[in-house]
Amino acid sequence: MSDHLSPIEAALEDEGLFFTRDDDDDAFRVAFKSEGDRYFVVAYRDDPNFLMIGSGWTLPAEVDTFDALDVANVLNVRKKFVKTALWEDERDVLFTIELCVNSAEDVRPNFGRLLDVLRDTAAEFFDELREDET
Amino acid sequence: MASVRETITSFIEGEGHRIDASPLDEAEGVSELLFRTRGQVFSVTTFEKNPALFTISTAYEIPEWARERGQNVETLAKVNDEFPDIAFVMAHDGGLFVATSDEAPGSPENFTRTFWERVARVREAGARAIEEIVDRTESKAAAEKFINSFMRGDQ
Repeated sequence: MSDHLSPIEAALEDEGLFFTRDDDDDAFRVAFKSEGDRYFVVAYRDDPNFLMIGSGWTLPAEVDTFDALDVANVLNVRKKFVKTALWEDERDVLFTIELCVNSAEDVRPNFGRLLDVLRDTAAEFFDELREDET
Repeated sequence: MASVRETITSFIEGEGHRIDASPLDEAEGVSELLFRTRGQVFSVTTFEKNPALFTISTAYEIPEWARERGQNVETLAKVNDEFPDIAFVMAHDGGLFVATSDEAPGSPENFTRTFWERVARVREAGARAIEEIVDRTESKAAAEKFINSFMRGDQ
């Protein structure tokens, strides 16, 4: 199968961002940072129409898991594109956008918007948690 | 010891962004660092002779139909009241404006600590300004259309 994340690399070039590749037998992976925050893009060799863009964050120790789940649920209802989930013993939060595409080229013109919504969702998640604390 | 330009370049690149660096005044040690974030190009100016000072700037193109220079200067002054830490300058015969923040963080290291907050502040001010310019032009055009119709007796 050809490298179908090359349009994502082009989108990252458009955005003026550095990136690294970490492919293996199962998947194509691109990792990059924007404004210091880490993101990734994954596509599976056996499912060429699936593409995931995401970012993962560690929950601060003082955050109550149930509060975090409540906030995640609210965001899952409200936000376009982004799925928010707790995982890894519920101490990490994952923000992902899962897309069904003919080609990653479909994503390239919308990449900036998708990054914005990922960034905004993470910011809102942590803002809401901080508000819950006060 | 790393120059101010090298320190800031290294920081921004470490945050994931490509930098296009160019000297503005080599004798005075003034450099411009260009990078993109969220689809917008920003410029950071560094001063080797004064490592405590920096500027962050970004330019916004004004849509051709909204280029009413006098009115837009007035709008920028109004937005400046809301964002007093951000200066607005019209350029290219009113075709664009530049939003600039003069930063005095004391050191390059301090500058990097609040860097993205300051970039966000310049972006917020610039976005507000372009929104006001477009809104004001659109509402003025709507008012003129109404007045013209009224004068023709259509209303």
